[in-house]
Amino acid sequence: MHSSILGYLSRWILSALLVLSLLLPFGVRAADAQQIAATLCAACHGPDGNSTDPAYPKIAGLDRDYLAKQLRYFASGQRRNDIMAGIVATIGEADFLPLAAYFSSQQPLPGKVRNARLAEIGKQIYEDGNTETGVPACAGCHQSNGSGNARFPRLAGQHQAYTLQQLAEYKSGRRAADRLMVSVGQRLSADEMKALAEYIAGL
Amino acid sequence: MKINYPALVLLLAWAAAHADASLPGGSAVNQGWNALYPERIEAVRARGDAVRGEAAFVICQGCHRVGALGRADGSYPRLAGQHASVIIKQITDVQTGRRHNPKMLPFADQHALTSQDIADIAVFLNDLPVPANNGQGPGENLKHGRLLYEKDCAVCHGFSGQGSGDKFYPKVSGQHFKYLFRESQKIRDGNRRNANPEMADVIKNYTDDDIAAVADFISRLPVRP
Repeated sequence: MHSSILGYLSRWILSALLVLSLLLPFGVRAADAQQIAATLCAACHGPDGNSTDPAYPKIAGLDRDYLAKQLRYFASGQRRNDIMAGIVATIGEADFLPLAAYFSSQQPLPGKVRNARLAEIGKQIYEDGNTETGVPACAGCHQSNGSGNARFPRLAGQHQAYTLQQLAEYKSGRRAADRLMVSVGQRLSADEMKALAEYIAGL
Repeated sequence: MKINYPALVLLLAWAAAHADASLPGGSAVNQGWNALYPERIEAVRARGDAVRGEAAFVICQGCHRVGALGRADGSYPRLAGQHASVIIKQITDVQTGRRHNPKMLPFADQHALTSQDIADIAVFLNDLPVPANNGQGPGENLKHGRLLYEKDCAVCHGFSGQGSGDKFYPKVSGQHFKYLFRESQKIRDGNRRNANPEMADVIKNYTDDDIAAVADFISRLPVRP
């Protein structure tokens, strides 16, 4: 009789532990993502993904799957970036999606146009492309408001310097995971890139 | 929409078997203009879905515009309402270089579009409405244009410019004048390699003015809304 009570208790404790161990990873995962964001990402991208330093992109509000894909690209070397390669190496692949979900759910802050005339030229290219050189309208994929989706990322409000840098990397082929954008980059002139970056900042 | 797939596949097979016999060698015109190429067959056999096609068309609309209406300056053709078979033929021809189009190539290669995407886009475009706001010509030589069209073009493209999906003859009504003019010139001059050699032959003696007159007449044909 004594042993049967012990047996009952131990079975109950075991079951409770089992249930707890099943639930634990989910709680830890969400907490992990926020903690990783605060400790590893916030210094450059800002705590809510709205970076203030134009050298680092705003990532708030970008599509979750798009962000997770970029983390995988940094990890595999498909997207070459020494800073990001070093950082993603310290994060487990299992954390990519929750981390992406965290930044995706943050509210993106608007950017600022500094040269309205340049932005006007940028708008023309963004909406109409360049039929002479075969530049497609950016709006075709990224949408007129630049809000983007899983395949074509959000551009709206991005820092001019970052947009410009990425377009240059497409042109040079350094960023080549997306071949469509390599073609677009090759067809864009330096002036067109500047105008686009200016317009996109104001979207 | 309905496409007679078995008939289309048979037709392609026939065309492939006769591709080499149909033209003397050395012609600038592609001899297998409607032949049974594997990637074309793959896209024709895939059952298209207009909803998926609308999503896949996103990478096309940066140039061909929302609603596939193209541009009146002729830089990019209108695709709305075009026969699915014609769309499949043209995309796969650009993909493989049978139609030389370096501007479009990166957006049509297999990295960008799968055979299923092409089939889906084709069905989506086939069913799109064609508003009557396409670019027209100057309207100065329409009688001459009508005469030539009814004598030389209507036998394949139809008296109302509707073409034939089963035979890969494009619908030409509703197309932009400047695009019709440019592509007809290319076909006449042997610069559009995937063209039907019969058409190149029929218009080989056309002057630029003749082509402009026909293109102008076509651009004013009524379209279905």
